[in-house]
Amino acid sequence: MTELIRVELFKLRKRGMTWILLAVLVAFFCMIFLGMYAAAGSAPHGMPGAGLEALKASLQFPNAFDTIFSTAQGIGGILLVILAASAVGSEYGWGTVRQMLSKRGIRSHYLGAKIVSLIIIALIGIVISLIVGFALASFTTIQLAGSINWDFMSASYVGELFKMFGWTAYALLVYILLGVLFAVVGRSALVGIAVGLGYYFVELIAIGIFTGAGGWLAEIPNYLIGQNINALMPGNQLGGPFMATSTLPSVLHASVTLAVYCLVFLALSLYLFKKRDITA
Amino acid sequence: MSKDSEVIVRTEHLTKRFGNLVAVEDLNLEIHQGEVFGFLGPNGAGKTTTIGMMLGLIEPTAGRVEVFGLDVRNNLASILPRVGVLMENPSFYPYLSAWDNLHLFARVTGGVTNDRIKQVLELVELSGRAGDKSKIYSQGMKQRLGIACALLHDPEFIILDEPTTGLDPAGLKEIRDLIIGLGQEGKTIFLSSHRLHEVEQVCEHVAIIQQGRMIAQGMMKDLLKRGGMLQLRVTEPDRAMAVLREQSWISPLTREGDLLLLGVSAERAAEVSALLAENGIFVSEMKTREDTLESFFLEMTGEGG
Repeated sequence: MTELIRVELFKLRKRGMTWILLAVLVAFFCMIFLGMYAAAGSAPHGMPGAGLEALKASLQFPNAFDTIFSTAQGIGGILLVILAASAVGSEYGWGTVRQMLSKRGIRSHYLGAKIVSLIIIALIGIVISLIVGFALASFTTIQLAGSINWDFMSASYVGELFKMFGWTAYALLVYILLGVLFAVVGRSALVGIAVGLGYYFVELIAIGIFTGAGGWLAEIPNYLIGQNINALMPGNQLGGPFMATSTLPSVLHASVTLAVYCLVFLALSLYLFKKRDITA
Repeated sequence: MSKDSEVIVRTEHLTKRFGNLVAVEDLNLEIHQGEVFGFLGPNGAGKTTTIGMMLGLIEPTAGRVEVFGLDVRNNLASILPRVGVLMENPSFYPYLSAWDNLHLFARVTGGVTNDRIKQVLELVELSGRAGDKSKIYSQGMKQRLGIACALLHDPEFIILDEPTTGLDPAGLKEIRDLIIGLGQEGKTIFLSSHRLHEVEQVCEHVAIIQQGRMIAQGMMKDLLKRGGMLQLRVTEPDRAMAVLREQSWISPLTREGDLLLLGVSAERAAEVSALLAENGIFVSEMKTREDTLESFFLEMTGEGG
């Protein structure tokens, strides 16, 4: 299994798409931080004073960490759906799934190695996001406040950062498994990407509609992926770029709901992958 | 090859249906250690589906497959390291070089050194192009790379599904020689092909499949003998035809110029000669004419017109 994970990481490392998506992640970080900084500097017409202060705070340490993790989760989720669906679906398109399974036939190991390698890439992505975000936030903090005050950096805050890192990784795991599931269902990268991203954006709209409808319908978003991720990510609640739009469920509710999604996606992917014939 | 030698593959009443389509039906095969076994059939006959079931890629609807005496359903981890496979239209990671592809599959299989990778690349004459990405390879080069991949871990049992697709005449000969060489090394080879000439030249045993059903199986020489003809040159061909036509045990009976072709076994040649002599017709030449696999195949599959 360890060797299979190494092989999957080798494939991802050698694949151009991985590096392109990483470049997109870095570019989005730059666009978001510099865009928000430009907005804070020009004080958009009609923005209330409190809103402007919140925007400025989100670009300065320590709140900038929330923005970094929120951005890593928001953009990372989209990019990981694409990467996960491609990593699984392309093998059907190229016919290499047949070649791989004729060398090593245990299908759960093969799919498991793929998922583990994608999780490792996601963790690397979060670390890169932290590095890039830290550099950008240092720039915006110095520009907005004149200098960086590190007084907030206590042992408990470092612990808080690790917790945010963990929640971000957990949120990304759901999107990895979503991309894998639909690539397995459709036996195609395109289907995995289309359905995975489609779900991501349709859910955003659905949350708005259900919340607006009120009554029992307003409860539905609490059982959707996005709303539960928002509940775990402070940056999604406090003025970050992927802001929540309604009352959020508790952290316990969110973590349990997302665990259920992960288990269902994983179980369905493994079941379908093991049960179906590999004919091409 | 002795029937006492180890059975490498055994299929029992193997059946696969895809919805209403019967791809393979009640297939019973036995392949012994050291055999070069030809699996012959027209396109769409169920050859690749049978291979898929041998490798656990396709779940049989009924029946079972044993490889090395182990049921494929539960023992793939033990079976596959001993099997090398060239799939029909072999597939590789297009963004990786031939070397990286082989290196990757070597890691999946385990126990393959870089020297072995070099060795198989030399064997299929791809050493000079090992650094090129596989996406720029021609069909013939992919085929060679597929063979290299199948031989990487020096397997005991080698499955080759249409191994000469896309190869030029020189490549055809090289692969044919390679298969013969592997057979001489004692490897068990399962050669699936619709190219009769290829199978005829390298295989000792053959099974013919059509529309998922086995229609003939046995030693190549026995099958060809079974379809053999007695060829005669006589003094009076017209009268000889008339005499022979009256014998119900001679069928078919055809004439090619001065030659008469009789569908009887060589054991009854003396009987034919005596019959003609009784009627005052003398035989100037008599020999058995063995069928080619092609004519036998066409006769068996009913595609001969």
